[in-house]
Amino acid sequence: MGRKSRRRGILRIDPVGIFGVFLLIMIWQALTLALPPSSLPTPSSVVARIGRDFIRAEELSFYGLADTGLLNSMIYTATNVMIAVALGSLVGTIAGFVTARFHNVRAILDPIVMTMGTIPILVLAPFFLIWFGVERMSAVLLVVLYVAVILYIFAQRAADNLDPVYEEYAYTLGASSKRIVWDILIPGTVPQVLGGIRIALAGAWGLEAIAELLGAQYGIGKIIQVLAGATDVQGIFAALIVLGLVAVISDGLAALVFAHVAAWSAAARPGGN
Amino acid sequence: MRLENGIAIKASQLSQSFRRADGQLVDALSSVNFEVLKGQFVCLIGPSGCGKTTLLQIIAGLLLPSSGILEVGNQVVTRPSPERGMVFQKDSVFPWMRVINNVEYGLACRGVGSGERRAIAEHYLERVGLAHVARAWPRELSGGMLKRVAVATVFANGASVLLLDEPFGALDYVTKRHLHNVLLTLWAETGRNKPRTVLFVTHDVDEALILADRILVFHTGRIVDDLALVAPRPRTTDTLLMPQMVQNKHLLLAHLGLETKQAGTGATSSIVRAAND
Repeated sequence: MGRKSRRRGILRIDPVGIFGVFLLIMIWQALTLALPPSSLPTPSSVVARIGRDFIRAEELSFYGLADTGLLNSMIYTATNVMIAVALGSLVGTIAGFVTARFHNVRAILDPIVMTMGTIPILVLAPFFLIWFGVERMSAVLLVVLYVAVILYIFAQRAADNLDPVYEEYAYTLGASSKRIVWDILIPGTVPQVLGGIRIALAGAWGLEAIAELLGAQYGIGKIIQVLAGATDVQGIFAALIVLGLVAVISDGLAALVFAHVAAWSAAARPGGN
Repeated sequence: MRLENGIAIKASQLSQSFRRADGQLVDALSSVNFEVLKGQFVCLIGPSGCGKTTLLQIIAGLLLPSSGILEVGNQVVTRPSPERGMVFQKDSVFPWMRVINNVEYGLACRGVGSGERRAIAEHYLERVGLAHVARAWPRELSGGMLKRVAVATVFANGASVLLLDEPFGALDYVTKRHLHNVLLTLWAETGRNKPRTVLFVTHDVDEALILADRILVFHTGRIVDDLALVAPRPRTTDTLLMPQMVQNKHLLLAHLGLETKQAGTGATSSIVRAAND
């Protein structure tokens, strides 16, 4: 019976949430009455700007970003985020599982990973720019690092928390060690690992934008950096809103996919985590 | 060394000691010897921490004994095998597999074809009365239903030795009684083709009297009594009132420290004691 209501829950849009967005726009609109457009553009002008800059932004060509618009910049940024989240999740999850099982490896890796996770991105970014250049690689690797740290912690904790009775039971039923990994360890930790991926994904958009701000040729972050130099507040708002919308949509899609993959778990209910 | 025909399990000088967190060495089992016949239903009873679960884990192959030998069939047990199925005290049904996939998991591990294993799993699910929830997730099931799934799984897997570690301890009285019937029915049915030896750990004296052919009483890592129950099956409430059953019950209660032992006879009776007072 709980299953049906959950199915409906996935597609339901919370009216309170819509009211929250509406309220924010109202406050924004009210503030524009008090502030000059150079500090705070009106919501309608920002929407118009998104429309104008979507395919090709004229202003950007004045600052050396020829033939680009919000759409293809966003695609560039989104591609980097997807590659980074996929790669970082894979590396972090495998490392987390290995360290949960082998205590010597854990003793070596734990301090290193924990230290890496605490380095501010602003400190790390210049090194990556020197080592990997201003192409895609640098920004992607920067995000990979933080995603991997988050997934390392989530996967390790999930494997630690998995009740050993499942493994013992599987062995008494005739499972091989390989089957234990594929049939017990991985599915048994999926809800927590997917939860970790969702958190990492949410953070990855911001990290990718910062990485692009600090040094890149393309991307939404690059646009923001260029427009910030020209104090084009309206353009920055337009770029930020596109980035924010894509991040929200990607989180919603991730939630949908995860609810399906971990349908067996109570934690898979939307809004349940 | 080969076991004689007819003997399913043989323990020789079996000992197991643990080092507790405070560094003290504790004997969970000390020099235990026993033999169990093929097809026998044996209950292991005793107070908490007397080594019953440890013994079951050694038989399952999940734990190696500190010393001594444990043989099942003709082989010394060194690791788990699908020949020795186990129903754990905790819920061990995999929450990430649908009920039917749980029941056929052991068969899948051994490479049984998907059609054949599905048929076997459906048969046993039907036998435990859960055919209607084959496609459900385990979290949608009650505690009693999960135990039925675990019982169906070990039977579907075709183990010749079934190890049950207080499987129904957490269940209510009615559910527990239903599960006794399910277990005994499956044990009797499948035993016709291939004898199924059962070792059933419990705290519950009535449960042991209803189920067992034989009761082994454990205390501080040793077997202190070995009772044969010859009462016919199926056993009913009336069976439990037979004089020999009542006497056995008093004996078991005395072993558990719930009644005092009568000097001389070895038998105990609270009624006799009351009369003496």
